[in-house]
Amino acid sequence: MPSTLEKIRVLGENSKYDICASTASSRTDKYPKLFGDSKDFIGNTASAGICHSYTPDGRCMSLFKTLYTNKCIYNCKYCFSHTCKKRLSFIPEEYARTFMKLYSMNVVEGVFISSGVCGSADETTEEMLQAIRLLRFKYKFQGYVHFKALPGVSQSLLREAITLSDRISINSEASTKEYLAEIAEQKDFYNDIILRQRWLKQIRIRHNDEALKEMKDQIQDKKVQFQEKMIKDHRDNGYKKFRWDGAPILNSGQTTQFVIGAAENETDWDLLKRIDDDYKKIDLRRAYFSSFIPIEGTPLSTKQAAPLEREHRLYQTDWLLRIYHYKLNDLKEVINEDGNLPRGDPKIHLAESYFENRGPIDPNVASYKELLRVPGIGPISAKRIVNLRAQKLTFKRRQDLKSVGVVLKRADPYLKINGNSQTTINKFIS
Amino acid sequence: MKNESNYEDSLKVVGRARGYSREELIANLPRHSKFHFGLIKQIMSIPEVALRNSGTLMAKKIIRMMREINTETYRAKQFTRTEINNRGVLYGVVILKHHVMDNVLKYFHERWPQCVICLYNEHTQTTGIINEKGEIREVKLPLKETVEKVSTGRPIISYFEDIQFSGEEIFESLYNSQNIVERENARYFKSMIPDKCFDLPGMKNGVEKRYNSQNKKIDDFF
Repeated sequence: MPSTLEKIRVLGENSKYDICASTASSRTDKYPKLFGDSKDFIGNTASAGICHSYTPDGRCMSLFKTLYTNKCIYNCKYCFSHTCKKRLSFIPEEYARTFMKLYSMNVVEGVFISSGVCGSADETTEEMLQAIRLLRFKYKFQGYVHFKALPGVSQSLLREAITLSDRISINSEASTKEYLAEIAEQKDFYNDIILRQRWLKQIRIRHNDEALKEMKDQIQDKKVQFQEKMIKDHRDNGYKKFRWDGAPILNSGQTTQFVIGAAENETDWDLLKRIDDDYKKIDLRRAYFSSFIPIEGTPLSTKQAAPLEREHRLYQTDWLLRIYHYKLNDLKEVINEDGNLPRGDPKIHLAESYFENRGPIDPNVASYKELLRVPGIGPISAKRIVNLRAQKLTFKRRQDLKSVGVVLKRADPYLKINGNSQTTINKFIS
Repeated sequence: MKNESNYEDSLKVVGRARGYSREELIANLPRHSKFHFGLIKQIMSIPEVALRNSGTLMAKKIIRMMREINTETYRAKQFTRTEINNRGVLYGVVILKHHVMDNVLKYFHERWPQCVICLYNEHTQTTGIINEKGEIREVKLPLKETVEKVSTGRPIISYFEDIQFSGEEIFESLYNSQNIVERENARYFKSMIPDKCFDLPGMKNGVEKRYNSQNKKIDDFF
């Protein structure tokens, strides 16, 4: 029988291409904790976010990230598990205890549980949920849990997973049905993935509306009684339909992951269109991109690896969509003919095309949206500039902008103050 | 920046811009090992905008001191490796030059509210203790002795007794499994775990040091 160490080694290695934030907990005490303020429970998502270790590639390693099992009915062409001869599975108790041991050592902050699909998606998900139930209710862990939902899982199990986790993700892998069929022909893009992502949104919204309404109606004294009652209900009758303290569920939202460069002609524009759609339709919190790396023994082993730079550009552009709220059509301006992003920072490319005809802008009069177009000015510094203007303060010198957080070396070519702008060497020569 | 309407601190009106407010400085600077009361007087005499933006040499010094305090606290939370015994006592070793033991203890107390936490500070050779109620004490005893004393009379809780591997072995397996060789990035790694961090008690012989390519043995290299 394989030892726990062997399982961690094999299943950890099988999950290493799954990407997750260190801990994406909301880090706020605004909402009630999963188990209230009881001292009987371990862990805390509000204080999470500290990385406890880093792998030699520089990525933080704050979560206990392994597959639950590497037995899988799918044969996705890019997948690591093709090459793995050892087929192993955790048992729920073993998984929960191993994590708690690591947590007691202060080397991990939470759980990232993913899996191959053994038998059916529901069978495997049921076992994964059992491990998380043990963590939550036997070991009383109320820290961060990221649950990777399997394609094709049933709605009832998703509902339970949602109430036990801080974040759920379903891997899209590709941007369209055709590209997915190219790399993972057994997966049904709309039914197995898109439909499940929509369910996640519906379940979350419905629950949170009801829970918040319930919380609002209670005065402080009653809230304590309510929590006590729900603890009792849980102990007497097992797990309840809703998170028992009435707290909003899935605080860290849902995410997804794409494999870049595995499908033959998939472009950056295809991926951007998909994530833009996901932000609008399924309340996607964020997207992760993983550059394709050919693995010996897989059907795509002879295919060239996707450059890591491409992954970086996509993250930068995703940031523009998600944080800066750029419109997808704005991004179209800088997309190359082949449908990919050009080399270099996409914000600088966008700024060059945007300011080409308009010329540099004056921070004393520019709108918030215009300010956001300037490289070196982010949402925080743009808000500060607008706030200061509302206080009738004007910027007289470049250094004034530095004091509100503007990165001058990037912003300079696109700004003018009192009619003066810093010239670039190219302009000087021309 | 020139305020046309009045000469109030311009950054004050938009809330926290950069650096630290005067209240934060007064509350936290006494934690620094080189703190003296003259500093408070100086803080009061410097305009807040200068304090926030390293506007004077003194402001620079004060901000540096604050950064040292915060960094030490953060690294202690991040890289202290702890163990738990069967009496519900969680313990570990830290090196804290500044007076931030309470912050570190509170962090561990939040994670393990039903345990007593004991952290031995190698720098001052004292042990900080926080109990289940959140009360903090500092005693001049070595860690082993403190843990024994604290454990006496506490009920036995079998935490992880039937796990046949040490936590170190488990973590080593997990750590080793997560590395993607194609993405190895020594510079990035170094910026995440600076060399100084490997002097911390939890990291001295830590897994990270052993697996860092800079520390590979010649046999591994060949």
